[in-house]
Amino acid sequence: MMLSRAAERVYWTGRYLERAEGTARIAQQYSQLFLDLPPDVGAEWYDLVTIFGAMQAFADSGRGRTENDILQFLLAEEAGPSSLMYSLRALRENVRNSRDLLPHESWENVNELYHVSREQLALAAAGENRFEILSDCIGRCQQVYGILAATMSHHSPYRFLVLGQNIERADMTSRIIDVAAAYLREDERQVLRYESTLWSNVLRSVSGFQMYRQYCQPQVNGVGVVRFLLGDSAFPRAVQCCLDAARDSAAALPAGEDVIAALAAANELVTGLDVEAMTAAEASALMDRLQAALGRAHEAVVARWFLPGDAA
Amino acid sequence: MSGYPADRYYDELIAADGSARPHAERLVEYFGSLPPDELVARQRAANATILDMGISFTIYSEGDNIDRAWPLDIIPRAMPGSEWDRIERGLVQRVTALNRFIDDLYNERKIIADGVVPAEIIDSSRNYLAACRGAKPRHGVWAHVCGTDLVRDGDGTLYVLEDNLRVPSGVSYMLENRNVIKRVFPSLFGTHRIRPVNEYPSQLAAMLRSLAPPGHDSEPEIVVWTPGIYNSAYFEHSYLARTMGAELIEGGDLLVDDDVVYMRTIDGLKRVDTIYRRIDDTFIDPEAFRPDSMLGVPGIMRAWRAGNVALANAPGSGVADDKVVYSYVPEIIRYYLGEDAIIPNVPTWRCSDPQQLAHVLANIEQLVVKPANESGGYGMLVGPHAARAEHEQFRRLLKADPRNYIAQPTLSLSTAPTLCGQALEPRHLDLRPFILQGATTSVTAGGLTRVAMRKGSLVVNSSQGGGSKDTWIVEDGA
Repeated sequence: MMLSRAAERVYWTGRYLERAEGTARIAQQYSQLFLDLPPDVGAEWYDLVTIFGAMQAFADSGRGRTENDILQFLLAEEAGPSSLMYSLRALRENVRNSRDLLPHESWENVNELYHVSREQLALAAAGENRFEILSDCIGRCQQVYGILAATMSHHSPYRFLVLGQNIERADMTSRIIDVAAAYLREDERQVLRYESTLWSNVLRSVSGFQMYRQYCQPQVNGVGVVRFLLGDSAFPRAVQCCLDAARDSAAALPAGEDVIAALAAANELVTGLDVEAMTAAEASALMDRLQAALGRAHEAVVARWFLPGDAA
Repeated sequence: MSGYPADRYYDELIAADGSARPHAERLVEYFGSLPPDELVARQRAANATILDMGISFTIYSEGDNIDRAWPLDIIPRAMPGSEWDRIERGLVQRVTALNRFIDDLYNERKIIADGVVPAEIIDSSRNYLAACRGAKPRHGVWAHVCGTDLVRDGDGTLYVLEDNLRVPSGVSYMLENRNVIKRVFPSLFGTHRIRPVNEYPSQLAAMLRSLAPPGHDSEPEIVVWTPGIYNSAYFEHSYLARTMGAELIEGGDLLVDDDVVYMRTIDGLKRVDTIYRRIDDTFIDPEAFRPDSMLGVPGIMRAWRAGNVALANAPGSGVADDKVVYSYVPEIIRYYLGEDAIIPNVPTWRCSDPQQLAHVLANIEQLVVKPANESGGYGMLVGPHAARAEHEQFRRLLKADPRNYIAQPTLSLSTAPTLCGQALEPRHLDLRPFILQGATTSVTAGGLTRVAMRKGSLVVNSSQGGGSKDTWIVEDGA
C-alpha cells in the first residue's frame, strides 16, 4: 500500500532532481555557446527566459535583460519558481518528507547539494567560476541519481521516481532543442556557418556527443541531432527513450491506463518525423506541442494516483 | 560512589548516608568501579549510537536546523519492582476514573449533579468541547493514551504532578533509551532483572485495534496522524507508525465521504478504522472546530460521532487534564470507584476559591503557580526562583482570572547520579509513565525519565536543556 501523498513526493523528487540538472545544463550550454559564437549572430540571454516560459515572472522581478540579471533570475533566485535554486529547495523538501522511502544517503547528498548551491550559484550567475560551479552541481545531481538507482528496490516508490524523472527529462530535452532552434529563427543563413558548433554544443549539453557519434552518424548537423534527440530509443535523454521509460513505469503501477494513453499521445508527436523537411520555426512549434502533451501526461498522473476520490 | 552528595535531596539510587539503595546496589557498584575516562568514553559511545540510529527531536526556534540529537545520560534511573507494582495499580486506578469522568461529563453529568465537581469548572474549561456531547466512544474510554507525570519529593513520596490526556509524547524516547543503553552496557542486563519496555508498540497497536468500529471482517486499518515533519514530535510519530506497521498520514491523505473516513492511496480510496491522532483536537475538523485549520479533515467529527471511525485520544479528552480539574482527581476516584487514590496528588490550592486565593497571594514567594490549560512548563511561576516583579505580575494575573490558576508548594524534586563532565553529580528528575486504555489497560514498566542537566535546575523539558535517562524497574524479589 502506498499513500498518494507519498507517491506524489517521490514523483516530484524525480522531477525536481531532473529539472535542477537540466537547468544547470541549459545555463552551461548557453554560456559555452556565447563563447563559441561571434557577437553578430544575434543571440540574446533573454532567449533563456523564453525557453523556460518565465517571461511574466521575469518582468515581475524588475530585473534588466543583462547576463547577470538573467542568470541570477534563472540560477540563484530562490523565490522564483523558474530558478535552479528553487528546484533544489523543492527537491530537498520532497526528499526530506520522503525519508522513510528513500535511501538515507540520498537525503544527506541532497542536503549538501542544496547548501553548496546556495553559497555558489549567485557567484556562478555573476560569471565567476560558472563552468566549475555548474559542472559541480550537475555532478552532484547525478550522484543523487546514482544512489537512488543503485539502492532502491524496484517497487512503487521507485516507479514514481522514474516516472517523474522521465517526464521532466523529455521536457528538458525539448527545451534544449528549442534553445538551438531559437538561433535558427534569428537568422538562419548567418548561423548556418556555425551549425556544427551549435549542434555539437547541444549534444554536449546532454552528454550525448559520444553516443551520437558512435551510434548515429559521424557528422554533426541540425537534422541529425534533432532526429537523435527526439526519436532515438536507446539514448537515455532522447525524448523517445524517456517516453518509453515513463510508459514502463506507469505500466508497473496500478491502473495506469489513462497515463499510458497520455504518454502515447506525446509519443505520436515524435514518431515518423520528417526532420529534413522541417523549418526551424516548425521545430520550435513542435517542441511547444510536445511540452503541452507532457503537461497532459502529468495531469493524468495527478488524477490517477495523487487525487483519488476527487475526480469524477 | 565516594564524594557523591546524597544528603541534600532524596536521591533515587543513593541513600542519605552515602550507601546504595538496595534495588540499586549492583548498579551503583558497577558505575562506581568505572574510572572517569571510561564513563566519558561510554557516554561518547551512547551519543554516537544515538546519531547512528537517527534518534532526534525538533526545536521550533531553530528554523532550518530541525533535527537535534536526543540527549541521554548513560546512568540509568532505577526503581524497585515492588514499589512500581503499587504505582502501576495507582495509574490504572487514576486513568480508569478519569475516563469514567470524561464519559460522564459528555453524557449524564452525574458528578456535577451530585455536587462533587462544580459545573462552572467544566463549562468554563476551553478543553470542554460542546461538539463531543452525547458521544459514546467504544468501551466508554476517551483518553486511550495517557502520560502521567510523577515526581518524588524530599521525603521519598511519589506524587502525580499532572495528567497529559491530549497528545502526550515521549514514549519513543523511552523505547530508544533502552535500546541505546542495551548496546552500550550489555553486561548490565545479564546481572539485573530489568522489566522489558519493548512491548509498547504491539500493546499500542492492540489497543488501537480494540477501538475499531465493529462489523467488518478484515483487519482494521490503523493510521497515525501527524501534523507533519515540522512538528516537534515528528520523530515519534514516524517511529510509532513504523514499529506498529501502521501508515503515517497527514490531513491531506484523508477524506470523508458519507460519514466514512478514507485515505488516498495509489490503489484508490481505502477505508480507515482507527486514527491515532497526534494533532490537537481543535485542529482535526475545520467543520466542527477551527475553520482556519489547514491540517484538519472536514467531516471527521461527523464520522466519529456516527461511530464509523475511532479517534485516539477521543476529542474533548483534554477536559480532564485541566489543572483545576486535576485538583479534584482524588474526589473523582472516590466518586466513580469508591476507592482512595493510591498515588497522591501534589497539594493544590484552587485560586477560584476566595480563601485559597488569599493564601496563594500571601505566600506566592514559596509557591509554584500554574495556568490551568498550558503544558510544557509555559506560563508558570516558580516562586522561590522568581524576582519580586514577577511575584507582583502573577498576583495581578491571579486576581484578574482566578479560575485559570492553581498553586502548589515548591517540591524538592528527587535526584539521581548524572554524568556531568567527568564526574557523577545529582540532578533533579521526573518520570512519565504511559498508560494505554482500550478494551484492556496496560502501563509501561517505568516510563521516560527526564532530567534537568543544569545544576539546581528543576526544568526537565528537552526543549530547555533537559536530558533523559533509561528507567529501570528492577525486580527486588519482594
